[in-house]
This record gives sequence, C-alpha cells and structure tokens, in this order.
Amino acid sequence: MSDHKDIPPNTLMLFGVIGGLIGIYLTYFSYISPYFSIAGALGAICAVIWGADAVRRVAKYGLGTGVPSIGQIALGMGIVASMFGLAIVKPLPLAGPIVALITASLIGLIIGLFAQYVIKMKIPVMVRCMTEIAAAGSIIIVGYSAAVAGNFEFVSSIIPRVFDNGIILVVFWAGAVAILHPFNATLGPDETQKRLIYIAGSTGAITMTIIGIASTMTLGAVGGVTVVLGIILWVIFYKKFWDEVYKDSASVVGTGLIPKTEA
Amino acid sequence: MVEALLDPSTLTSILLIAISGTLICIAVHFVPVGGAPAAMAQATGIGTGTVELAAGSGLVGLITASYMNANVPDAPMALILGAGAMGSMIMISSAMFVGGLIYAYGVGVPFASAQIKRDPFTGTRQDIYMSKGTQGQGLPTICFVSGVIGAGLGGIGGALIYYVLYGIYEPLISPTSAAAVAGVFTVGVFYVNAVIPSYGVGGTIEGFHDPKFRRVLPKDTVTSFVVSLISGVVAVLIAGGMVT
Repeated sequence: MSDHKDIPPNTLMLFGVIGGLIGIYLTYFSYISPYFSIAGALGAICAVIWGADAVRRVAKYGLGTGVPSIGQIALGMGIVASMFGLAIVKPLPLAGPIVALITASLIGLIIGLFAQYVIKMKIPVMVRCMTEIAAAGSIIIVGYSAAVAGNFEFVSSIIPRVFDNGIILVVFWAGAVAILHPFNATLGPDETQKRLIYIAGSTGAITMTIIGIASTMTLGAVGGVTVVLGIILWVIFYKKFWDEVYKDSASVVGTGLIPKTEA
Repeated sequence: MVEALLDPSTLTSILLIAISGTLICIAVHFVPVGGAPAAMAQATGIGTGTVELAAGSGLVGLITASYMNANVPDAPMALILGAGAMGSMIMISSAMFVGGLIYAYGVGVPFASAQIKRDPFTGTRQDIYMSKGTQGQGLPTICFVSGVIGAGLGGIGGALIYYVLYGIYEPLISPTSAAAVAGVFTVGVFYVNAVIPSYGVGGTIEGFHDPKFRRVLPKDTVTSFVVSLISGVVAVLIAGGMVT
C-alpha cells in the first residue's frame, strides 16, 4: 500500500551496532560526570529499533508460535552472551561490550543454523535474522544495565547494582517486550516498516523511562533525568507513530471479501 | 583457561548444564500447548503459547528450588531438584485445572483429544465427543498427565542448572550475588530451550501421545543439547571473570 522504500537491513544494522556501542561506551566516562550513564539507554534504543526490524523480517514468514517467542529467545541468548562478554574480559574491561556482541552473534548464528537445517523451519532469512536478533538482544541488555549501573564493569558495578537487587529481570522483560511488541502490534496485510520503526522507538523509550525509575535507586538524581528524557522520547516517537497511522489509514481501500480458505 | 575447562569437575558441570537444558527442551514437548486455536476451544490444550507455559511453570520451579537452596543448609542435590519439580508441577496443574474449569463451565465443551481414539487412563472414547471442524477441545486426562510429567522434567532441569551454577559462583562472590547471577543465567538458558522446541512443534502439541511428539523430539533434543552445551561452557567461563 505504501509507496516509500524500506530502509535496507544493513543500514539499520549499522545504526543499531554503532549507535548501541557508542551509547554503551559513553557510559565509561561516567566517572567524569554521572550523566554519561544515560547514553547507555539511548544506545539500547538504537538496538531496539534494529532488533524490531530483524524480528519483522523473520516473523513475516510465520513462525507458528507467535512473535513473542522470538523476542524471548533473543533476550535469553542476549543475557547469556552479555554476562559472558562482560565477565570474561577482566584485564581489559573496555572490550566487554564488543565481546558480548560477538558472543551473542555466534550463539544466534548457531541457533539459526540449527533452526534452519536441523529443525527445518524453511525460513530463508532465519540464520541471518537470528544472529541479528541475538546481537541486538545483547546490546539491549548491556545498554540498559549500564544505564542503571553507571558503567559496564561486571563484577564491580553490574553485579551489585543490577543483579543483586533484581533490576536485571526488569531489563530482561521490558527489553524483550520492547523488541517483540513492535511487530506483534503492527503485523498484518498492510503493515509498513515506518510504523514499526516509530513504535519500536516508543517501546525503547518507555523501557528507558522504567530503567530511569530503577536507576534513581542506584544512581540518584541521574535517574530522574533518564525518566524525563525517556518520557520526552516516548512522546516524540509515539506522536510520529500516531501521525503515520493516520496517514496510512487514509490510503486504505477496499480489499474485497475475505477469501473462503485461509492462506 | 583451556586447562581449567578440562578439569573433571568443570566438565561435569558443563555436562550437567547441557543435560538440564535438554531436559527443559524435552519437557516442553509433554506440555499440552494449544496456542490460539485452544484459546477459542478449537484444539486440545491450554490456550497459550509454548514459551509462556514452559517458562511459567519452569520459573516457579526455579523459585521453589532456590528457596530450598537458600533455607536448607547444605541441601543435597536431590532435595533441590525435587523442590523444583514440585513447584513446576503444582504451577502447571493449577493452570490446567483452572483452564479446565473455564473450558467445561465457561465455554461449555466436552474434553476430547483428536490424536487418540480412547483415553488410556479413563478408557473413554474421544472421537464421538469432538465437535465438527475442531481438533479436540479442553484438557482430557491424558493431556493433564502429560503436562504434569512435562512440568516435573522442566522443574528438574531448571533446578539443576541453578544448583550447578550456584555451586560454581558461590565461592567467588557473595551468596546473594551468586544466587542472582545463577538465577538470571538459568532464566536465559530456560528461555532459549523453551523456544527451540516450540519452533519444532510449530506452536501446538497435545502431549506424549501426539504423533508429532515422536517426529520432532529427536531433532529438537539434538539442537537443545548443543546449544545448552555452549551455554554451559559460557557459564563456567563467567566464573573466571569473578576471581579477584
């Protein structure tokens, strides 16, 4: 129905990886000013947008189990890989997020290959998308965790500030919903990538708000700024989504009767 | 790092994690998952997705297992696994019982399975109670039994990962942190292993009597074992980063 061209997957991948990593690495400077930790959540939003688009590309084929399953496996792989990536690089903490990203991609690649060739799901983009989704999942976990912990050092910051108090479960669940909700909500015969990207931005931003509330517990006033910024971003993205829905609904035309047999 | 990985006790831990992941994967095949059709009483099973059911019951098992681990000093492994299995089984039984009440008195359908002619437990004929155009409805006895077995296996799997990981991390960091890290890692492995079989069964399965069960179980199990083995290696290596 729409006449605009979709943003190519590679562009979104670069946006997610580079934006995500820049955001996460900016939190490293939180020893200069604690406000740098907010960048982690902004980086995670980039990954949410990328991940939601990857979910869209694979879930379009029909998984048979609903879209939520792929969001949950993404964050499941992401959390395993992130803990490994952040913990393993003790002599060089700076490498943590990149190692997490690579590990997640490898786990995603293996699961994708198995899903394609052993379980035989017959989805041509399965391997690529599973890798992308896992990688996005790890950036989401590390990004939001860094926004709560102040930086991404596993043993000294993330364990006491994110794991001990259970905030990691909020990161896990809210992150999973952020990545799976956009396509789950917009799927259908007339869905467009534009609407998906805007609603992905809004789910990422509302997760950032929740993360902000959590980080008022760990970082104090900085959390308040994260909340306010999250709400502003949510309003912006949601308004854009709203406008897009209005524009698209104006172009809906009759599609005829419902076919007798289901496709 | 490589020689540390080849240590017999480490290898045992990795293997135990791989086995527990596989147990979770097998468990999902036992749970009568009906998905969206069952939510409209057009297929046998509980009306929600594989992942939700497996994770819902498995996570309750994880809570009961960790509670046992925290409150019984030097609890033996069997006690923790038993607690996990019990928690999962209670959770899935409650879900199936309440679901059954709604199907029987709310929707008003007779419970019937589309995959077998007679229920092996009650001996009742199934096909005459099936509504036209549906694939069975509600939760017949065999599905209920299958679901309880599945939840038990899943609970044991989740509890086993938790027990092994807690044992690895506890000497390195504080008990609270060890419990948190082990618990979150278990949740991650649980989700991965709950989704893999759901792709295999394609959304719905009735239980161990379903022909699908035998068809998809081997390939799902292989996938799950390999993925869980990798998770096991990763989990053990995380401990290396905690040594101060």
